[in-house]
Amino acid sequence: MARAAYKVPRTPDGLPDLQGIWQVRDTTAAFDVQDHAGALGIPAGRSIVVQPPDGKIPYKPEALAKRQANFKNRDSADTLNRCYMPGVPRITYLDFPFQIFETPKYTLIAYEYIHNYRTIFTNGTKHLDGLDWWNGDSRGHWEGDTLVVDVTDFNDQTWFDASGDYHSDQLHVVERYTRTGPDTLQYEATIEDPDVFTQPWKIGIPLYRHTEPNFRVLEYECQAYSDEAAKGGQ
Amino acid sequence: MKLKSAILSGALGLLLAALPALAHHSFAAEFDVSKPITLKGKFVKMDWVNPHSQIHIDVTDADGKVVTWSCEALPPNSLYRQGWRKDSLKPGDEIEIEGFQAKDGTTNMWTRSVKTADGRRMFAGNADALPPSAPAAPKDESK
Repeated sequence: MARAAYKVPRTPDGLPDLQGIWQVRDTTAAFDVQDHAGALGIPAGRSIVVQPPDGKIPYKPEALAKRQANFKNRDSADTLNRCYMPGVPRITYLDFPFQIFETPKYTLIAYEYIHNYRTIFTNGTKHLDGLDWWNGDSRGHWEGDTLVVDVTDFNDQTWFDASGDYHSDQLHVVERYTRTGPDTLQYEATIEDPDVFTQPWKIGIPLYRHTEPNFRVLEYECQAYSDEAAKGGQ
Repeated sequence: MKLKSAILSGALGLLLAALPALAHHSFAAEFDVSKPITLKGKFVKMDWVNPHSQIHIDVTDADGKVVTWSCEALPPNSLYRQGWRKDSLKPGDEIEIEGFQAKDGTTNMWTRSVKTADGRRMFAGNADALPPSAPAAPKDESK
C-alpha cells in the first residue's frame, strides 16, 4: 500500500514533519458529524464517526433529547453563530485552513478561523486544573510518526457541529495527527464525556495540504449574524 | 452555565467588545467608591466570563427575604493567576464579599475580596492590592 510505503519527512529537529497549511475537503462535517439529509442551511453529508461502527454518537437517552432540542434551536443556541471560539475537535473541520508549526517543546496550530491558536505542549507538562476554556488545554506527545494530543479543561458551551451535537464540561478529547502522504494528514479524535455519552466514540477525517503557490493563512474576523440571539431578545 | 445566562453574558460581551473604552473604564462608570459594601450570604455560582467574572450570592435581608446579588470581579485569567480555581467556592458556601456598590443602586457590586467561612481570604478586584500574606500564585508548568 502506498500509505505504508510513505516515509514521513523529519523537521530539522528530527520530529515527524506535519508542518504546512491544512484543511478539510469534506465540508459537511462542520454542519453535522453524523449521516444527515439536507436541511435548512445544512448540506447533506456522511458521518465522520468511525466508532461505534454504526456512525452514530452514543448519546444517553436524555442527552439525545437535548441534542434534538439543540437542533431545533440551532440558530440561536449555537455559540458559533455569536462568534465564540468553536472548541475542539470542531475547529479542525470548519472549512478554514490552519497552519501547523513544530518545535521540540510545543506544536502550535494557527487557525484562520477568528484568529484561534492552540499551543500543544510536548514537553511533558501536565494539564492546568481548576479552570476551563473554549478550546481546552492541550498536551501532546509523539507516538512514532503520530502526534497524540490530550485535551481537557473544556467549558460546556461549544458543540461538535452546527446541528446541536454537544458535550458537558467533562469532555475529554484525544486527537491523533498522522501524515499519510506529501499532501494528506489523517485526523482522528476520540471523544469521551460520561455525562452525555454511554461510551467513548471516535471521528476520523482526512486533511489536505494547500499546495497553491503563495497560499497563506489570512485574517478572518467574525461578525455575529444572529443579532436577536446576541441581544438576548428571545 | 445555563443557556440563558450564556446569551445574556454573550450580549454583554458583544456590547463591551463594541465599546472597548467603556469596558476598560467600567468601574468608574458603574460603581461608586464612596459606597463600600460588605455582603454575607450563600455562594450560588460563578460565571467565569470575560471581560469580568461574576459571583452570584444569595443574601437574606432583615425581613428574611432572599435577594441574589451579582458581584463583578476580575476576568478569569487574572483570578486564575491569583490562585482562584473553578472549585474554590462551592454552591452553598457561606461567604463574605467586600467591595463597592453599583451607582444605580441595583443589586450589583464590584468585588474587592471574598472571605470564606474557613478563613480563606481571596482577592478578586485588584491584583496590585495583594498583601504579602496572599497565597503564592501557582507554578505555571507551561513554561
